[in-house]
Amino acid sequence: MNYIKNIWITRYFWINLALSDIRSKWRRSFFGVLWTIIQPLGMTILLSVVFSKIFNTDATSYAPYILSGMIVWEFITQALMSGSMSFIQADAYIKQYKTPLAIYTLRAILTNLITLLLASISLITWALITNPQNFNYSWFAAFLIYPILLLISWPLSTILAYLTARFRDIPYALTLALQAVWFISPVYIQDTVFRSSGLNSLIDYNPIYHLLEIVRAPILRGSFPTIENFTYCIIVIGIFFLTAFLCGRQLERKVIFYL
Amino acid sequence: MINQILLDSVNLHYLSAAFKERSIKALIGRVFDINSTKERVQDIHALKNISLRIDPGERVGLLGSNGAGKSTFLKMIAGLYPTSSGSRIVNGTIRALFDLSLGFEPDASGRENILYRGLLLGLSPKEIKNLEEEIITFTDIGEFIDYPLKTYSAGMQVRLAFAISTAVHGDILLLDEVIGVGDLQFLEKAKARISKIVERSEILILASHDLTALSSICSRGIVLDHGNLVFDSNIDEAINFYKNRNITV
Repeated sequence: MNYIKNIWITRYFWINLALSDIRSKWRRSFFGVLWTIIQPLGMTILLSVVFSKIFNTDATSYAPYILSGMIVWEFITQALMSGSMSFIQADAYIKQYKTPLAIYTLRAILTNLITLLLASISLITWALITNPQNFNYSWFAAFLIYPILLLISWPLSTILAYLTARFRDIPYALTLALQAVWFISPVYIQDTVFRSSGLNSLIDYNPIYHLLEIVRAPILRGSFPTIENFTYCIIVIGIFFLTAFLCGRQLERKVIFYL
Repeated sequence: MINQILLDSVNLHYLSAAFKERSIKALIGRVFDINSTKERVQDIHALKNISLRIDPGERVGLLGSNGAGKSTFLKMIAGLYPTSSGSRIVNGTIRALFDLSLGFEPDASGRENILYRGLLLGLSPKEIKNLEEEIITFTDIGEFIDYPLKTYSAGMQVRLAFAISTAVHGDILLLDEVIGVGDLQFLEKAKARISKIVERSEILILASHDLTALSSICSRGIVLDHGNLVFDSNIDEAINFYKNRNITV
């Protein structure tokens, strides 16, 4: 409890650092923060042209599917990568001030969450222009993706950060692991493609699928995400928080020795 | 609650795992090197069975050669290093000045860094706004305050760090060899400022090799040697003890 209280006490610190990360990331670039919108849009146009040829589908309906997968997946990889390095990056702070270590992963997550927030503008605009008939109350549910992603990626990247402090191999292994997960998840490739190949279990038991459905069901189809989608997310959140808690009890105090 | 430090048989080990080679290269090396007589790296026993009590109003000087455990002792008090056994009770807000030039955001301006450092010290943005002008005046780096920190010289960084860290008041003040920073002019200012915050804080622990500074600021002296607390009395006796010990060794 004290731990959570201290995270709250230091809130100005990590919020401001996250904002400064955003500022310094786009400093001295002409389009600046607009890149968070331009980049996924450009990639989407590219991919939807190619993929629609490969899978023989209509490019305009496929594009928002790719775009939604891309911005969420981009968040996950970036958040986990920068999160896992966040203790090492903050070593100067950690060596001088006693604060809950989770604020440094929170800083990384927050930075990426703001980026995601901006990137979602591109998806929302796209969906409104191409499929305006989908716009209804279910869109409120889509916004739950932000708190859900925060609650998933924060404990997970904290676990990774503990481990990275000890074993510097983690970021390399993580890149590989994320690639693997990407391949077996319906991020760009439509879930129907998986299903038609008899790979139903890769969809039904895949938390990534359920996570993406929270955005895709409302934005792409105008329907509410299912209870099952939310249940999967909540279970994942629970598991990660519990693991992070157990890791933290063992490692929180020892991290300083490894920096 | 009174501000107080109570230590009861505190031990502290640095984990050898942190600096032992952990790469696969080292692993293979070990396999082929079974009969090696090379000593294996052990956990470092940095503080050995330390018990003491510091009451409100005490000014403690910390003496000891390099590697005696002074910095470790201060960082343990600050709660940065976990103790491996014994009990450590520290009542009061701690203000510590350790490695001053560390912990800046290189791309942010001096002004922004004042904000971040202050926030880390637990201030609110509003309180920092009030302190900002005073800090900038003290650092005396002029228009550089709005330049990114990576353009600063080492001396300017230390000045800024010093000014921020000393602008905030705390009950327990821990100082580790911070007096010898900056140019001569700044040194005078820094000394004046330190004595001011020393007056304001309830408890002071100062680690230094500057014996005159120690005897003028502190009332009590503690001598550490290889992680042991070997002497604890008033400051002048402690300085004598430390001097004699160094002569005999």
